[in-house]
Amino acid sequence: MSDTVELRGIHKTFDHFVAVDHLSFNIREGGVYGLLGPNGAGKTTAIRMMIGINMPDEGEVWLFGGKFHRQQLQRIGYLPEERGLYKKMKVLDHLIFLGRLHGLSTAEARKRALNWCERLQLSEWTQKKVEELSKGMQQKIQFIAALLHDPDLMILDEPFAGLDPANAVMLKDVMIELKKAGKTILFSTHRMDQVERLCDSICLIDHGRRVLEGELKKIKASYGKNTVQMQYEGHPLLEDCDLIQSFNNYGNYVEVRLKPGADSQELLRLASQHARISRFELVEPSLEEIFIDVVGQNA
Amino acid sequence: MHNTWLIIRREYLERIRSKAFIIMTLLMPVFMASTILIPAMLSDMKSGGTRHIVLVANNPEIAEAVKQQLITPQPSDSKTDADIRSQKASAPRYAIEIGTNVADAERASLRQQITEGKIDGFLWLADTDLASHKIVYSAKDVTDFGESIELRNAVQSALVKRQLAQKGVSGAEVENLLKPIDLDSIRIEKGKEGASGISVFLVAFTMVMLLYVNVLVYGFAVMRSIIEEKSSRILEVLLSSVTSKQLLAGKIIGVGAVGLTQTIIWLLIMLAFSLPGISASRSMLSNVHIPMVGMLAFGVFFILGYFLYSTMYAALGSMVNSDAEAQQVQWPAMLPIIFSIVLSTPVLQHPNSQLAFWTSMVPFFAPILMFVRVMVETPPAWQLILCVALMLLTTWGLLGLSSRIYRVGILMYGKRPTLPELRRWLKYAG
Repeated sequence: MSDTVELRGIHKTFDHFVAVDHLSFNIREGGVYGLLGPNGAGKTTAIRMMIGINMPDEGEVWLFGGKFHRQQLQRIGYLPEERGLYKKMKVLDHLIFLGRLHGLSTAEARKRALNWCERLQLSEWTQKKVEELSKGMQQKIQFIAALLHDPDLMILDEPFAGLDPANAVMLKDVMIELKKAGKTILFSTHRMDQVERLCDSICLIDHGRRVLEGELKKIKASYGKNTVQMQYEGHPLLEDCDLIQSFNNYGNYVEVRLKPGADSQELLRLASQHARISRFELVEPSLEEIFIDVVGQNA
Repeated sequence: MHNTWLIIRREYLERIRSKAFIIMTLLMPVFMASTILIPAMLSDMKSGGTRHIVLVANNPEIAEAVKQQLITPQPSDSKTDADIRSQKASAPRYAIEIGTNVADAERASLRQQITEGKIDGFLWLADTDLASHKIVYSAKDVTDFGESIELRNAVQSALVKRQLAQKGVSGAEVENLLKPIDLDSIRIEKGKEGASGISVFLVAFTMVMLLYVNVLVYGFAVMRSIIEEKSSRILEVLLSSVTSKQLLAGKIIGVGAVGLTQTIIWLLIMLAFSLPGISASRSMLSNVHIPMVGMLAFGVFFILGYFLYSTMYAALGSMVNSDAEAQQVQWPAMLPIIFSIVLSTPVLQHPNSQLAFWTSMVPFFAPILMFVRVMVETPPAWQLILCVALMLLTTWGLLGLSSRIYRVGILMYGKRPTLPELRRWLKYAG
C-alpha cells in the first residue's frame, strides 16, 4: 500500500526566515494524521506546498504514489485555516461552483450539495446569500465544499475553530465516517485534546523542523507510564521534590511527571504526609504534556 | 481551460445579475439622454416663441430688405443649420415692425417698450451706423448668439444684395453668388476615397472615450474583485484547484465581458433612439465615411487595449489590500492612456513620422495611436502585425507577472510591498 502523502525534505524560506526546514514525513492511506505544532511552526506553509499553492525551494512532494502534479488536486479536499466564501453568492450556487472546479458536473454537484446541506442542517439556507449566514454556518458550508467531490485526501486546517460543541460533534462524526470509508485525513491543529481523540499518527513540528513523528500509541508508550495524576486536599509540597521532572496543575487535579528511575510509591508516601490523597493514578503522559515537553526542549 | 471557463462564467453571471449592474446599465442612457435632450428642449421652448423686433432705418428699403432676409428661410452655411431651420420654419421666428424715425427720442422710447415687454428688441440701422459698418441690436436678453449671428447675416446679405442690385446684377444672379460653398475633405488612399477628416476625428474620439471609460470602470472592477478575494480569504480554496494564472485570466475576461456587454447594450439603446435622428440628418452623416478596415481595427484595438489595461490593473490589485490603497496605486495604469491622448494629435497630423511609428509600437499607446494611424492612412501590414503581437505578448507577460505577485501577495496579508520586496516575491513564487 503506497503512502497518500510523502514529503521528501521540503524546504522553504521567505527572505531569511526559514518557514519549513527540510521536512519529511509519510501519511499512510486511511486514517487520521495530525500535523501539530505551536503557532508559526510552519504547518500552513507545509500544507500549502503539499497542494501546490507554494512551491518548495528544495525537496519533493509525492501524492498518491506519484510526484506532485496538478491533476492530483482533483482528489484532494482542502479546508484552509483562513475561511472565506464569496459573500454575495447564494449558498447552493457557491457549492456548485466549487464542486465544478473539482471536476463535478453541475447536476452531480447540486445533488451532493443538497444532500450534505440536509445532513448538516443547512437545508433552509441553500438559497440565501453567504453573507446572511452565521460564521459557524459558513464554516460548515466550507467543510461541505472541501468534501463535495468525495476526495481521497482531506486536508483540514483547524476544522473545529469557532464551532460550538454541537456543530463540532457533527463535523467529527463526518470525519470518522470518512475515515471508515478508507479516506485519508490530514488534520492540522494546536488543540491536543482533539488530536488525542481523533488521530492515529502525528507529526509534531516546531520552527519548521520535525521534532516528533509516528503512531500516537507508540509515541505515548515510549514515554512510559511515568506520569501520575493526583487529586488531593491540602498542600503536598511537591513542587521542589527531587523525584519530579515536571508539575502541571489543571485545577481539578495535578499531573506530575516523574524523573527517570524515580519510584511512584516514594512519591505517594511523600505526598500523603502533607495531604489527603483521593486519587492517585499512574498513566501515560497526555499529548499536551509531550507537546510542551518537546517544544520546551527545542526552545 | 475548463477551470478558467468556470471562473469566467461565475464572474460574469454574478456581476450581470447584480442590482448595481442592472441599475447602472439602465440609468446611464437615461442620464445621457437627459443631458442631451433637456437643454435642447429648453432652447426649443425659448426659441419656439415669436420674437418681436423693430427695425429702425433712415431708408425703409433697407429695413424691408433685412426683414425679407429674416422671415424667409435662407440657404445657410451648413446642412446641419438647414435641418434645424427646416424644423423651425413651420412657425415664423420673427414678427418685424419697421420704423423710420432715427431720432434719439425714438431710441429712448423703444428702450422703454423693451422694459415694458411690448417688444423683444430693436435693431438700429441708421445710415451713419451702416456707413461705419457698426450696428447695434438692443434687447432684453442678448445671450442667444444664434440670434445675433442671424441678425448680422441678414443685414450683411441685405446690404450686399442691395449694392449688387444697384450695380445692375439680377436677383437670381445675386442669390447664386451668395450661396455658401460646402467643403468636404476626403482622404485618397490607393486611388480610392478613404475616410474623411471629420470621420477620422469622430471615430478616434469615440475610441478614446470608450476605451477610457471602460478601462476606468472595469479595470478598476478587476482590481476590486481581486482585493475582494484577498479580503474574503476565499483564494486559498480556489488555489487548491486552479492556478493563479487561470484565476487571474478568468477574472479579467469575466469582468471584461461584463464591460463589453454593458457597452453593447448602451450602443444598441443609443442606436435605437437615434434612428429617427439619423434618417433626418442623413445628409450630414453622408460625410462620415468609415472604411471597413477602420471598423475592424476599432474592434481589434479596443479589445486588445481593454485587456492589456485590465491586466495591468490586476497586477496592481494583487499588490494592495484595500480599496483605499487601490485608489492610490491606480495612476500607473491611467498614465499611458493620458499620454496617448496627448500624443494622438501629432500622430494624427503626421501619421508617417518617426514619432508616430515608435509611439504606436509601444503596447500601452498602441490601442489609441495605432488605431489613429490606421484611420488616417493604413500602415504597412508588418507594422500592424508587429504591433498586435507586441500587445498580445505584453498582456501575456503581465498576466504571468501579476499571477506571481498574486500568489505571494495573497498569502501575505498586511502591508503593501516595496519594490525590492516585490522582486523577491517574484522569486518565491517560482
